[in-house]
Amino acid sequence: MIEVKDLVKTYGPLAAVDRVTFSVPEGTILGLLGPNGAGKTTTMRILTTSLAPSGGKATVAGFDVVDQPQEVRKKIGYLPEIPPIYGDMTVVNYLRFVADIKEIPEEKKANRVGEVLEMLSLDDMGKRLIGHLSLGYRQRVGLAQALLHDPEVLVLDEPTRGLDPKQILEIRKLIKSLKGKRTIVLSTHILPEVSATCDDVVIIHQGKVVAADSVEALSQRLSGSKTLEIEVKGPVAEVGKALERTEGVSGVKILSKETKGISRFEATTDGSNEAREALFNCIVKNKWVLYQMTPVGMSLEDVFMKLTTKEGAA
Amino acid sequence: MSGRKIWAIAKKEIGYYFSSPIGYIVLTAFFFATGFFFWLILKGGQASMVPVFSNTIVILLFLSPGITMRLWSEEEKSGTAELLKTSPLTIWEIVLGKYLGACTFFAAMLGSTLIYLAIIAATGNPDYGIVFANYVGYIMASIAFFSIGLLVSTMTENQIVAMVVTWVVLLTFWVIGAAGDQVPGEMGDFLKNISIYKHIDDFFKGVIGLNHVLYFASLIFLGLFLSVKVLESKRS
Repeated sequence: MIEVKDLVKTYGPLAAVDRVTFSVPEGTILGLLGPNGAGKTTTMRILTTSLAPSGGKATVAGFDVVDQPQEVRKKIGYLPEIPPIYGDMTVVNYLRFVADIKEIPEEKKANRVGEVLEMLSLDDMGKRLIGHLSLGYRQRVGLAQALLHDPEVLVLDEPTRGLDPKQILEIRKLIKSLKGKRTIVLSTHILPEVSATCDDVVIIHQGKVVAADSVEALSQRLSGSKTLEIEVKGPVAEVGKALERTEGVSGVKILSKETKGISRFEATTDGSNEAREALFNCIVKNKWVLYQMTPVGMSLEDVFMKLTTKEGAA
Repeated sequence: MSGRKIWAIAKKEIGYYFSSPIGYIVLTAFFFATGFFFWLILKGGQASMVPVFSNTIVILLFLSPGITMRLWSEEEKSGTAELLKTSPLTIWEIVLGKYLGACTFFAAMLGSTLIYLAIIAATGNPDYGIVFANYVGYIMASIAFFSIGLLVSTMTENQIVAMVVTWVVLLTFWVIGAAGDQVPGEMGDFLKNISIYKHIDDFFKGVIGLNHVLYFASLIFLGLFLSVKVLESKRS
């Protein structure tokens, strides 16, 4: 549904987006994850035709964002970082205005506005001035705007920004309920948000894609690492061979040899606890001494740590 | 080009003028200015509308940035520009919608002067040809101001900057004719020819000159055309 290939956006010498490539299959939710300034918003602005790319290609529902922007705009509902709302308009008047510029047929206008108000629990707010609403309601009005013309593709830039925990859960539920019929791209700098709502995730850092995977694979890599670093006091060659023969272990690499009798190994396992137990038993049975056994190499987690520590706890 | 979309944007702008202080400040100042000069007319016992227009066009020059300064600046600043830019709208639809909104608000302002015309018609015998020429000139000059104001507004997200720059541009176009009087030869003629002041004068005398109409029409088109170009350039 969405194809992005080698997308580049430069501002002078600075590349805000640097050869970003990803694709979103129809009916799935993709999470763009990264700290502020990573290039998430720029990528989304290019996808929604608000900004022209400096290089690369992006298509939405088969339409090129540069060559056929009007077609793309008809297919897309977009909630920007700051909800694009007018404080001096009432919620209903605002949605009617949006209906006009999004080419919703005049006879369907009233119905559609009513439906969206209900979908976002805004029924009681219809006659209120948007400027008088709380942040959470404004965000919902912004979301109502994006959903109004029933687009096939939704691009949501930090949809839960500024909401309280209860509202965050509601919005996540809503986004999940929209899945299937629609293809969704959402951005966030909060890790649990991705696992709660998305099918796939693309991690962007300093304009580059540093990881792209399904959320399941990602969680696996985050929770149970398959690589173990093991320190054993014993004859290095024998220990290495014994570890390699252990059940659940697919490979052993020697990292360092017998400094004060202790050697360091890296064992690749199937990730199960049984494999760790078998390794432990193997060492004990041979009367060697186990100094340390640590899961290592979670490059994704490293990235995450880097991202989240910069961001502060969110 | 869709009338519905253009009108939707125009309606939004008109709604803003009637729900914001700036709209009422402009209206009040306009009513006060036109009312004052009409009162002088009545006092002098004339059956003419000319002083109402010829004296207030300069006041309108100062008021017009109040009408146009926010047209695009505010969209850019509040982030609503993103909505307009990612909706199936062409830049021309956006620009024409905004312009139509400002002009419609002005039409409501100007409509109030019909009361004065009615009073003069009831009490005297005005020359309707002159009145008509006055209206045409006044309207053309005003909507030329708006076109330039809209252009300036597309260039900044700061309303105050938009207002001051519009003043400077309009005043320059106004007084450049006086400069032209001081400069001999072709240069002087050129300065006089691009001055608003030199083109509006004939209308107030009751003459609708084709060259003057073309002058204001060009200003209007140029302002709108360049607004479209500025907004297009913001995408890249």
